[in-house]
Amino acid sequence: MLDQLAAFVAALAAQTGIAHLWWGNLVMIALGIAMIWLAVVKKFEPLLLVGIGFSCIVANVPGSNLILEGGLFHYAYQGVELLILPPLIFFGVGAMTDFGPMIANPKLVVLGAAAHLGIFVALIGAKLAGFSICEAGAIGIIGGADGPMAIFMAVKLAPHLLAPISVAAYSYMALMPLIQPPVMKLLTTRRERLIRMPQMRPVSRVERIGFPIIIAIIVNLLLPPVAPLITMLMLGNLYRETLVTERLARTAANGVMNVVIVMLTVAIGSTMAADRFLTVQTLEVVGLGLVAFVFGTGSGVLGAKIMNLFLKEPINPLLGSAGIASVPIAARVTHMVALADDPDNFLIYHAMGPNLAGVFGTALSGGIMLALLLPS
Amino acid sequence: MIVPDTLQGAVVLSVIDFALSIVMIAGIGVVLALLPLLNRIGRLDDDNLRNH
Repeated sequence: MLDQLAAFVAALAAQTGIAHLWWGNLVMIALGIAMIWLAVVKKFEPLLLVGIGFSCIVANVPGSNLILEGGLFHYAYQGVELLILPPLIFFGVGAMTDFGPMIANPKLVVLGAAAHLGIFVALIGAKLAGFSICEAGAIGIIGGADGPMAIFMAVKLAPHLLAPISVAAYSYMALMPLIQPPVMKLLTTRRERLIRMPQMRPVSRVERIGFPIIIAIIVNLLLPPVAPLITMLMLGNLYRETLVTERLARTAANGVMNVVIVMLTVAIGSTMAADRFLTVQTLEVVGLGLVAFVFGTGSGVLGAKIMNLFLKEPINPLLGSAGIASVPIAARVTHMVALADDPDNFLIYHAMGPNLAGVFGTALSGGIMLALLLPS
Repeated sequence: MIVPDTLQGAVVLSVIDFALSIVMIAGIGVVLALLPLLNRIGRLDDDNLRNH
């Protein structure tokens, strides 16, 4: 009787996930809980980390059907794999973004490229670590600090690295207030950080409407590989700026954006199964991502200092660090670091210019990389 | 693949990509600097657009 009962319980247990649970799952579940803790307690990118953390936990519970074919998480991942979600994120971002600071101060746009040296340091570092050149390119783009772009490049160049790349990109974006300030302070003097920026000119409605149309034409003409992202960014922005499609702009910035964030975060988290994620490669990717962020911040600041050698009116070199594409986190960090030295030095609006240019800088770097690595 | 899968290839790719990115974004900067020319076309009233 007891033997029969034990056999019955054993057969029942084999049907559950408990029999397949291993220490790797427990580590990943702990990681998922840590992400949710960071989001809730530390307020680090809650919109991203709650979804990623939760789906990471679910993906590591053996027996979960959600990540298998037929499960909702699986279909959310299809949105990433088929490159539907990243352009939609850009669509929403475009509808939320005021490109006025970038249009008003074109000379700061160069900082959007200067702050991307980290991409190439990480690329070469990844190659030295033994990754293929396509994998190295996908890892390097983490340094652009542009989540959708990092996903886009990973899917194109190294789909098997999507999970560590997207996790590294979004995690470091959330941690930018901790990563950037020491580098910014190390490379600037207090006197430089106290430089104030002049008032910007107002940007007319005609310019605001002309901007997305002109940029969409240029990007589609010159950089077709990344045109889907920038084109959607510009469409969202056009809806916002025409003022005659406010309803659509609101939907893109709120409804569409929220749905896409849910799908994207769930898709990323669901790829974090222990057997695929707990590898030396993941640690290497995460380490190289940090290198990319540090060098990107540094090169942006140094780029601004080099610009000052040629400008009559010097710019605050802290603006260079905002050239990293993470909008608006990098601009906010610039603003906070400047405020620490002078509580009346408000750089946020000025920092948005290079910050938005950073989106284009990352897209340009990615587009050139795709053109050279995956020629059509 | 145009770029060889070697360390030298990675360096060449990085140099070309970084230089081209700067040139192209500077080009976008030039376009932005010329954007005020659009104001010669005319002026759009925000209130009028909102109340279409």
